[in-house]
Amino acid sequence: MSVTREQVLKIAQLAELEVDEEALPALAEQMSRILDYVAQLAGVVANDSARPFIPGPDALRFRPDEVKPIPLALEVSALAPAFKEGFFLVPRLGQFEEEPEA
Amino acid sequence: MSEASEALTSGRAAADRIVKVKRLNACLTPPKELRSSLIRQAQAAHPSGVLYGMPVAVKDNICTLEFTTSCGSKILEGYRSPYEATAVTKLKAAGALIAGKTNCDEFGMGSSTEHSAYGRTLHPGDKNRVAGGSSGGSAALVAAGAAPAALGSETGGSVRQPASFCGVVGIKPTYGRVSRWGLVAFGSSLDQIGVVGRSVHDAARVLSVISGRDPKDSTCEDRDPLRLPTVPESLQGFVIGIPKEYFPPDLDPGVRRACDRAIRLLKELGAAVRDVSLPHTSYAVPTYYIVAPAEASSNLARYDGARYGPRFDGSADVRSLYRHTRGEGFGPEVRRRILIGTYVLSSGYYDAYYRKAQQVRGLIAQDFRHVFDRGVDLLFTPTTPTPAFKAGEKTADPVSMYLSDIFTVTANLAGLPALSLPLGRIKGLPIGGQFIGQAFLEDEMLEAAYALERVVPAGEEV
Repeated sequence: MSVTREQVLKIAQLAELEVDEEALPALAEQMSRILDYVAQLAGVVANDSARPFIPGPDALRFRPDEVKPIPLALEVSALAPAFKEGFFLVPRLGQFEEEPEA
Repeated sequence: MSEASEALTSGRAAADRIVKVKRLNACLTPPKELRSSLIRQAQAAHPSGVLYGMPVAVKDNICTLEFTTSCGSKILEGYRSPYEATAVTKLKAAGALIAGKTNCDEFGMGSSTEHSAYGRTLHPGDKNRVAGGSSGGSAALVAAGAAPAALGSETGGSVRQPASFCGVVGIKPTYGRVSRWGLVAFGSSLDQIGVVGRSVHDAARVLSVISGRDPKDSTCEDRDPLRLPTVPESLQGFVIGIPKEYFPPDLDPGVRRACDRAIRLLKELGAAVRDVSLPHTSYAVPTYYIVAPAEASSNLARYDGARYGPRFDGSADVRSLYRHTRGEGFGPEVRRRILIGTYVLSSGYYDAYYRKAQQVRGLIAQDFRHVFDRGVDLLFTPTTPTPAFKAGEKTADPVSMYLSDIFTVTANLAGLPALSLPLGRIKGLPIGGQFIGQAFLEDEMLEAAYALERVVPAGEEV
């Protein structure tokens, strides 16, 4: 499994992680090596009959992995003066912080 | 001497001892802050507690009110938690003194403390070697005699591996035995707080205090605290399994000799020793390095520069603030694991990696169930394939570093209790042996460890 420079950049974007341009080749090489190593699991005979192990109290069970609307009386966007693409629009970070002394 | 002044003397002496071994870089708390806190704590400590006056150091990924909690990371540098871990509250209620925060690999990700943003911890017996990790600071501090016990945490062997390297006792309890409230999350289905101690008794005493139910953690079992067993005269009636997969042909010959001697001693103590097989053992490390990074990539999403720790500013918008802070704040190993975790959970790869790893994890847990269902009480194995390795030896090759956890990760994947204790030395370097027990039967594991500890010449060459 060879991870390309472009794939590393895409994954880093998903993970909200800045990656230095010069670190990319080494990172792609290390990720490839790790993924090659873990890929040996493909050879294990296991299917859905192999019960996934969930530690912790028996009563503890995962909820279904479903996206559901947040049960609010009003839309989230109605709670703020400005809202765009899932974010509240607020004054720029640092605007109210004190200027460093000269 | 009054009880209060006894605690005060103990607090001052602990501060002196910890400062004296400052060269090890095992404790991250500055000496002045440590000393004044220990004096304040000693004055307030409750004299009726079972650990009254006992200094216990705490790994830097466990929240404390007294000291900062940086998780060995730049992204949490100077962070003060507004609450403390339940384990720490329980220690204080028992009269223990929190003796500073110990160095660790960043967020517990590493096997040598070489991934701490605050420099590596030196091995107490050889400064050119690693103390192990990720709880290397806790193990080195106890091994150097600066504290009788310390809290660590385990996701894949991070208490037992450094305990083995440093020649002390390390216990990882059953998943759910100790509350995870206040333990900074790395891999939530694997993480457990554990204990490093000078002896089985010291470690077990601390474990007993921190164990038990906690309504703040739904994964903590509704059970009473662990009751400590007495030291047995013999191990008559115990059946101890020796899994062949933990003794591969390329096992370090010194480690093999130390384990063979320990097995002989277990037989002399009256235990029945039986060869067993755990056929999926070789898949444990690859399984772990899918499951743990996947959980870490989700758990560490919260560190974005907006809520915790320093913010690496100067960004044009909120998204670039997140990226810039995370890119600057996380070290290389954490960045690597976040990327791997994001990759194996991403669309198109989930089934091939994460789903498959969950299935294999089920097979690894099933291997243990099969062995224990056939009358075996405990398993005995080496803790690590080699003694402490040299600093820098494995940093360039992540997979080689990961393989130093090969004998420890299985207990985390299956949620079982395990304990490492010193068995002997090779060229002066300690070797550890490991008991793996059945879920919530730590008492049986401790009985066997008490008995073996009494007869094994742990300070001698093998």
